[in-house]
Amino acid sequence: MSAFDKYLHAVIVRAMDEAQDDGSATIDAHHLLLSLAADHGSTAQQVLASVGLDRAAVREALDREFEHSLSVVGVSPAAYDLPGPSHASQQPKMGASARLALERSFSSARKTDLRSAHLLLGILQAQIGTVPRALALAGIDQAELADRVLQTLNSQDQ
Amino acid sequence: MSAGENSLPPEAADALAAVVALRRLADQLEDAAVEQAMRAGWSWPQVSEALGVTRQAVHKKHAKRLIAAGVKLRRRGDERV
Repeated sequence: MSAFDKYLHAVIVRAMDEAQDDGSATIDAHHLLLSLAADHGSTAQQVLASVGLDRAAVREALDREFEHSLSVVGVSPAAYDLPGPSHASQQPKMGASARLALERSFSSARKTDLRSAHLLLGILQAQIGTVPRALALAGIDQAELADRVLQTLNSQDQ
Repeated sequence: MSAGENSLPPEAADALAAVVALRRLADQLEDAAVEQAMRAGWSWPQVSEALGVTRQAVHKKHAKRLIAAGVKLRRRGDERV
Protein backbone atom coordinates (compact mmCIF):
# COMPACT_ATOMS: atom_id res chain seq x y z
CA MET A 1 0.00 0.00 0.00
CA SER A 2 1.32 3.43 -0.94
CA ALA A 3 1.25 6.30 1.54
CA PHE A 4 -1.72 7.77 -0.30
CA ASP A 5 -3.62 4.46 -0.18
CA LYS A 6 -3.14 4.40 3.58
CA TYR A 7 -4.25 8.01 3.84
CA LEU A 8 -7.32 7.33 1.68
CA HIS A 9 -8.21 4.34 3.82
CA ALA A 10 -8.05 6.46 6.97
CA VAL A 11 -10.22 9.15 5.35
CA ILE A 12 -12.84 6.58 4.36
CA VAL A 13 -12.85 4.92 7.79
CA ARG A 14 -13.46 8.31 9.43
CA ALA A 15 -16.17 9.09 6.86
CA MET A 16 -17.79 5.76 7.72
CA ASP A 17 -17.89 6.77 11.39
CA GLU A 18 -19.51 10.06 10.38
CA ALA A 19 -22.12 8.18 8.33
CA GLN A 20 -22.83 5.86 11.24
CA ASP A 21 -23.24 8.80 13.64
CA ASP A 22 -25.63 10.26 11.08
CA GLY A 23 -27.69 7.06 11.04
CA SER A 24 -26.94 6.89 7.32
CA ALA A 25 -26.75 3.57 5.46
CA THR A 26 -24.35 5.11 2.95
CA ILE A 27 -21.11 7.07 3.09
CA ASP A 28 -21.92 10.24 1.18
CA ALA A 29 -19.73 13.01 -0.23
CA HIS A 30 -20.50 15.19 2.79
CA HIS A 31 -19.18 12.47 5.11
CA LEU A 32 -15.91 12.56 3.18
CA LEU A 33 -15.87 16.35 3.61
CA LEU A 34 -16.38 15.99 7.39
CA SER A 35 -13.57 13.45 7.45
CA LEU A 36 -11.16 15.76 5.59
CA ALA A 37 -12.08 18.73 7.80
CA ALA A 38 -11.22 16.67 10.90
CA ASP A 39 -7.85 15.52 9.57
CA HIS A 40 -5.51 17.92 11.34
CA GLY A 41 -2.29 18.78 9.57
CA SER A 42 -3.32 17.70 6.07
CA THR A 43 -3.34 20.18 3.19
CA ALA A 44 -7.07 19.59 2.66
CA GLN A 45 -7.82 20.43 6.28
CA GLN A 46 -5.64 23.55 6.14
CA VAL A 47 -7.36 24.88 3.03
CA LEU A 48 -10.77 24.23 4.59
CA ALA A 49 -9.68 25.93 7.82
CA SER A 50 -8.46 28.96 5.84
CA VAL A 51 -12.11 29.73 4.98
CA GLY A 52 -13.32 28.91 8.49
CA LEU A 53 -14.42 25.36 7.77
CA ASP A 54 -13.37 23.13 10.63
CA ARG A 55 -15.30 19.93 11.26
CA ALA A 56 -17.84 21.66 13.50
CA ALA A 57 -18.47 24.37 10.89
CA VAL A 58 -19.01 21.76 8.16
CA ARG A 59 -21.40 19.85 10.42
CA GLU A 60 -23.30 23.06 11.16
CA ALA A 61 -23.54 23.89 7.44
CA LEU A 62 -24.87 20.37 6.72
CA ASP A 63 -27.47 20.65 9.49
CA ARG A 64 -28.59 23.98 8.09
CA GLU A 65 -28.90 22.49 4.61
CA PHE A 66 -31.02 19.65 6.01
CA GLU A 67 -33.35 22.04 7.80
CA HIS A 68 -33.49 24.41 4.84
CA SER A 69 -34.33 21.63 2.37
CA LEU A 70 -37.09 20.36 4.65
CA SER A 71 -38.49 23.85 5.12
CA VAL A 72 -39.02 24.10 1.35
CA VAL A 73 -41.79 21.50 1.71
CA GLY A 74 -43.02 22.90 5.01
CA VAL A 75 -41.42 20.36 7.32
CA SER A 76 -39.56 21.20 10.50
CA PRO A 77 -37.43 18.39 11.97
CA ALA A 78 -37.82 20.03 15.38
CA ALA A 79 -41.56 19.29 15.20
CA TYR A 80 -40.88 15.62 15.96
CA ASP A 81 -40.15 14.80 19.55
CA LEU A 82 -39.10 11.17 19.39
CA PRO A 83 -36.17 9.83 21.40
CA GLY A 84 -33.05 9.45 19.27
CA PRO A 85 -32.59 5.97 17.82
CA SER A 86 -29.69 3.69 18.68
CA HIS A 87 -27.00 3.77 16.04
CA ALA A 88 -27.00 1.36 13.14
CA SER A 89 -24.86 -1.67 13.78
CA GLN A 90 -24.10 -2.48 10.16
CA GLN A 91 -21.32 -0.72 8.30
CA PRO A 92 -22.45 2.03 5.93
CA LYS A 93 -21.60 1.31 2.29
CA MET A 94 -20.06 3.71 -0.19
CA GLY A 95 -22.83 5.88 -1.66
CA ALA A 96 -23.14 7.35 -5.16
CA SER A 97 -22.07 10.90 -4.27
CA ALA A 98 -18.93 9.69 -2.46
CA ARG A 99 -18.04 7.40 -5.37
CA LEU A 100 -18.40 10.31 -7.77
CA ALA A 101 -16.21 12.53 -5.58
CA LEU A 102 -13.49 9.86 -5.46
CA GLU A 103 -13.68 9.27 -9.21
CA ARG A 104 -13.23 13.01 -9.78
CA SER A 105 -10.29 13.03 -7.36
CA PHE A 106 -8.57 10.12 -9.05
CA SER A 107 -8.96 11.65 -12.50
CA SER A 108 -7.45 14.96 -11.33
CA ALA A 109 -3.90 13.62 -11.08
CA ARG A 110 -1.66 10.66 -11.84
CA LYS A 111 -2.04 7.94 -9.26
CA THR A 112 1.44 8.50 -7.84
CA ASP A 113 0.79 12.25 -7.49
CA LEU A 114 -2.47 11.94 -5.53
CA ARG A 115 -2.64 13.81 -2.23
CA SER A 116 -5.23 14.90 0.34
CA ALA A 117 -5.95 18.08 -1.60
CA HIS A 118 -7.06 16.02 -4.61
CA LEU A 119 -9.71 14.37 -2.45
CA LEU A 120 -11.00 17.78 -1.44
CA LEU A 121 -10.91 18.90 -5.07
CA GLY A 122 -13.01 15.89 -6.11
CA ILE A 123 -15.63 16.77 -3.49
CA LEU A 124 -15.63 20.46 -4.49
CA GLN A 125 -16.10 19.65 -8.18
CA ALA A 126 -19.71 18.63 -7.54
CA GLN A 127 -22.09 21.30 -8.81
CA ILE A 128 -25.18 19.60 -7.49
CA GLY A 129 -26.07 17.96 -4.21
CA THR A 130 -25.81 18.35 -0.46
CA VAL A 131 -22.23 19.65 -0.32
CA PRO A 132 -22.70 22.58 -2.77
CA ARG A 133 -25.97 23.53 -1.08
CA ALA A 134 -24.47 23.40 2.40
CA LEU A 135 -21.44 25.47 1.36
CA ALA A 136 -23.66 28.06 -0.31
CA LEU A 137 -25.80 28.35 2.81
CA ALA A 138 -22.64 28.82 4.88
CA GLY A 139 -21.66 31.70 2.58
CA ILE A 140 -18.69 29.84 1.10
CA ASP A 141 -17.74 30.53 -2.53
CA GLN A 142 -17.21 26.96 -3.70
CA ALA A 143 -15.46 27.87 -6.97
CA GLU A 144 -13.03 30.14 -5.13
CA LEU A 145 -12.37 27.42 -2.58
CA ALA A 146 -11.64 24.94 -5.39
CA ASP A 147 -9.24 27.50 -6.91
CA ARG A 148 -7.50 27.79 -3.56
CA VAL A 149 -7.03 24.02 -3.51
CA LEU A 150 -5.60 24.08 -7.03
CA GLN A 151 -3.21 26.92 -6.16
CA THR A 152 -2.03 25.02 -3.11
CA LEU A 153 -1.43 21.92 -5.24
CA ASN A 154 0.47 23.95 -7.85
CA SER A 155 2.66 25.66 -5.26
CA GLN A 156 3.49 22.28 -3.72
CA ASP A 157 4.53 20.98 -7.12
CA GLN A 158 7.13 23.68 -7.56
CA MET B 1 -40.89 23.60 -25.78
CA SER B 2 -40.09 26.05 -23.05
CA ALA B 3 -36.99 28.20 -23.25
CA GLY B 4 -35.53 27.08 -19.97
CA GLU B 5 -35.73 23.39 -20.68
CA ASN B 6 -32.00 22.81 -20.53
CA SER B 7 -31.29 25.05 -17.58
CA LEU B 8 -31.44 23.86 -14.00
CA PRO B 9 -34.10 25.92 -12.26
CA PRO B 10 -33.36 26.50 -8.58
CA GLU B 11 -36.86 25.35 -7.65
CA ALA B 12 -36.04 21.92 -9.08
CA ALA B 13 -32.83 21.80 -7.04
CA ASP B 14 -34.82 22.71 -3.92
CA ALA B 15 -37.47 20.09 -4.67
CA LEU B 16 -34.88 17.36 -5.27
CA ALA B 17 -32.95 18.33 -2.13
CA ALA B 18 -36.23 18.19 -0.20
CA VAL B 19 -36.67 14.58 -1.38
CA VAL B 20 -33.19 13.71 -0.06
CA ALA B 21 -33.85 15.47 3.25
CA LEU B 22 -37.29 13.88 3.67
CA ARG B 23 -35.85 10.40 3.03
CA ARG B 24 -33.23 11.05 5.68
CA LEU B 25 -35.86 12.34 8.10
CA ALA B 26 -38.13 9.35 7.34
CA ASP B 27 -35.23 6.96 8.01
CA GLN B 28 -34.46 8.68 11.30
CA LEU B 29 -38.14 8.62 12.27
CA GLU B 30 -38.44 4.95 11.35
CA ASP B 31 -35.40 4.01 13.43
CA ALA B 32 -36.70 5.95 16.43
CA ALA B 33 -40.32 4.82 16.07
CA VAL B 34 -39.49 1.12 15.64
CA GLU B 35 -37.17 1.27 18.65
CA GLN B 36 -39.85 3.02 20.69
CA ALA B 37 -42.46 0.43 19.70
CA MET B 38 -40.20 -2.54 20.45
CA ARG B 39 -39.23 -1.09 23.82
CA ALA B 40 -42.95 -0.71 24.52
CA GLY B 41 -43.46 -4.42 23.86
CA TRP B 42 -44.79 -4.43 20.29
CA SER B 43 -44.10 -7.59 18.27
CA TRP B 44 -42.44 -7.73 14.85
CA PRO B 45 -45.76 -8.60 13.12
CA GLN B 46 -47.44 -5.60 14.75
CA VAL B 47 -44.65 -3.20 13.79
CA SER B 48 -44.51 -4.54 10.24
CA GLU B 49 -48.28 -4.23 9.86
CA ALA B 50 -48.15 -0.67 11.16
CA LEU B 51 -45.41 0.23 8.68
CA GLY B 52 -47.09 -1.66 5.83
CA VAL B 53 -44.02 -3.76 5.04
CA THR B 54 -43.18 -7.43 5.52
CA ARG B 55 -41.98 -8.76 8.84
CA GLN B 56 -38.79 -9.94 7.13
CA ALA B 57 -38.07 -6.42 5.89
CA VAL B 58 -38.50 -4.83 9.32
CA HIS B 59 -36.49 -7.56 10.99
CA LYS B 60 -33.67 -7.32 8.48
CA LYS B 61 -33.50 -3.54 8.81
CA HIS B 62 -33.75 -3.20 12.59
CA ALA B 63 -33.13 -6.44 14.52
CA LYS B 64 -29.33 -6.22 14.74
CA ARG B 65 -29.38 -2.60 15.80
CA LEU B 66 -32.01 -3.14 18.48
CA ILE B 67 -30.31 -6.23 19.88
CA ALA B 68 -27.03 -4.28 20.00
CA ALA B 69 -28.89 -1.51 21.83
CA GLY B 70 -30.09 -4.04 24.40
CA VAL B 71 -33.79 -3.81 23.52
CA LYS B 72 -35.66 -6.88 24.74
CA LEU B 73 -37.41 -8.27 21.69
CA ARG B 74 -40.58 -10.34 21.90
CA ARG B 75 -40.35 -13.70 20.25
CA ARG B 76 -42.95 -15.50 18.19
CA GLY B 77 -45.54 -17.20 20.40
CA ASP B 78 -44.95 -14.50 22.96
CA GLU B 79 -48.12 -12.69 21.87
CA ARG B 80 -50.17 -11.05 24.53
CA VAL B 81 -53.75 -12.29 24.99
